[in-house]
Amino acid sequence: MLALFLENVMLYIELLLQGLISGCVYATIAVGLTLVYSLLRILHIAHAGLFALGGYIGLLLTNTTGSLILATPLAAALVGVLGMAIYRLCYQPILNRPPYVALIASIGLFIAMEEIFRLIFGPYGLSYTQPPLQTTYTFAGMTIRAVEIVIVTGSVLILGILSWLAQKTRMGVAWRATVDDPQMAESFGISVLQVRYLNFFIGSALAAVAGVFVSLLSNLVEPTMGGVPSYKALAIIVLGGLGNVAGTMFASLLLGVTEAFGTIYIGEYMDRDAIAFAFMIVILMVRPQGLFGRR
Amino acid sequence: MLKKMMILALAVCFMATGFGPAAAADTIKIGFNAPLTGFAASDGKSSTEGAKLAVNQINKAGGVLGKQLELIIYDDQAKPAQSIPIANKLIGRDKVVLGISGSYSGATRSAAGVFQENKVPYISAYAIHPDITRAGDYVFRTSFLGEVQGKAGAKLIGDIMGKKRVVVITLQNDFGKSLAAGFKEVASTYGITIINEYQYSIKDRQFGSIVATVKADNPEAIYASGYFFTAGPLVSQLRAAGVTVPVIGQEGYDSQKFIEIAGKAAEGVIITTSLDRDSKVKETADFITAFEKQAGFKADMVAASGHTAVMVAAKAIEQAGSTDPKAIRDAIAAVELKVSTGTIKFNALGEVMKAVQVQIVKDGNWHHYAVIDDPALLAPPAK
Repeated sequence: MLALFLENVMLYIELLLQGLISGCVYATIAVGLTLVYSLLRILHIAHAGLFALGGYIGLLLTNTTGSLILATPLAAALVGVLGMAIYRLCYQPILNRPPYVALIASIGLFIAMEEIFRLIFGPYGLSYTQPPLQTTYTFAGMTIRAVEIVIVTGSVLILGILSWLAQKTRMGVAWRATVDDPQMAESFGISVLQVRYLNFFIGSALAAVAGVFVSLLSNLVEPTMGGVPSYKALAIIVLGGLGNVAGTMFASLLLGVTEAFGTIYIGEYMDRDAIAFAFMIVILMVRPQGLFGRR
Repeated sequence: MLKKMMILALAVCFMATGFGPAAAADTIKIGFNAPLTGFAASDGKSSTEGAKLAVNQINKAGGVLGKQLELIIYDDQAKPAQSIPIANKLIGRDKVVLGISGSYSGATRSAAGVFQENKVPYISAYAIHPDITRAGDYVFRTSFLGEVQGKAGAKLIGDIMGKKRVVVITLQNDFGKSLAAGFKEVASTYGITIINEYQYSIKDRQFGSIVATVKADNPEAIYASGYFFTAGPLVSQLRAAGVTVPVIGQEGYDSQKFIEIAGKAAEGVIITTSLDRDSKVKETADFITAFEKQAGFKADMVAASGHTAVMVAAKAIEQAGSTDPKAIRDAIAAVELKVSTGTIKFNALGEVMKAVQVQIVKDGNWHHYAVIDDPALLAPPAK
């Protein structure tokens, strides 16, 4: 009896761990999205396209240079710059229109990106020739892959550094001031445009890193790999209280864990994506402003 | 002035499209719908290349009834909403004598109704939903039903491999569900106990929680339905977690891409499918060589199925001796033809009756493992 219980406890711990791993990936994607929303009130669907592009660039660079450590920051930087370009070319000209105009533009851009990936990289998806970080470690009957350790520590580090920057540096203060009151910030001499560029750069770079993470987990990047994050990240930022960074991170982890258990115990009735949305609906019924939103 | 010129240009364009096909009236047109964009674009590419290869081969050998075959291809994105207008366009505007689906079940099922209504023959190359052929007597299928292949999987695991404690991992779509249904229907016949079943969606690539639970289940074998893009990550994650028991899949795995994604973890994975890579049969061996030469990548089950469907269509048109749809339908129903995926003949419902090929991954390639030729077990429904 005790042995059976212990065995189950081990399983629960392993499920919890798996949930936290996917939660970390979700957080890395969703924080960028919530950054854009908090600054511009735009639901930036094309963010998921940048996530897929990050996966492609990371994988292709790793395959050609043989170094993931070199490829990941490069992918992040390239995608970050593209994110800035998307702001300049796609969103800036329509900022004075109602929010749904930007939303439609963003959806259109996302679909176009998926098809461009398919045309350039082919419909079959790409894999690593030598998948990195596949060493496994076993302790207490649990097996964990190096890539999973890298994802958890990597995302915690990156998001930790970011929040430190937001609190302690001039640029961070400028960013927070702009989010709170753009007009007031501008009158204090903060360049709102610079803040927006920085915002898109960081958010897009994070998406690219998440893309590399996912490509390592499944050893596959596909043209449509942005499909799931494109709407799941929306559910997450709504849950976290739109525009709330800490709330978004917490919601990501919570959703990851809920999905991990849900897949096993209610997977017969509800698929993984449905679990995410059912969860969102339940929370929003109780707290319409999201878990951490201000009324 | 500019406006006038534009109208003129437009008119020229319309004329070009309107009269284009008419100018090539001495060809026999075969319609083909496949997902060339969207999530299923990889299978669409394979099936289209397979079909094109068949058309090229037939045309090089002199065509059919003294005319060249012409494949009219449209992208249905694997969506029913796309395949219905495509079916109407193929029949109404392109005047095809026969249609072929190189697409998934949803799109094929809706198009089948349109072809049946217009009494134009329609062949499903690899879509597995049972209702496709139930659209009527003009609809045929050259591949296995999901249920049939699920039954073959049960025989493979319980009888040929002798594994009895099995975990089933099911892809939550018509493909996965019909496979699981067939598997469960006959599992007890072969002494199989299903100790647990898990479901996942076609968009899933991370299976961490399923893998952890399967490990705790400690089965003798795993029967997992899926496509290469879900099965590749699933198998590699199972192996990474230290699950070493045999994984048995189906034709959805059947692609070189599966081996590329799963890498070393793919070794030893066994599937039921319809293409035998080590076949000594001339039709199959020739197809595998010719396909790789034309397409530039290795042949898979979907490619062979596209090729098979065109071969069957051409044979039927020749047997019919005319392009009359009724005559072609009757000829398809009576066909018996040896092609890359086996010997094709149909039952009263238009379902194919043939042996199931079992393949295993060895040294990074698909190889022969067994053949399941059990007409009673593999009998498709006749109505």
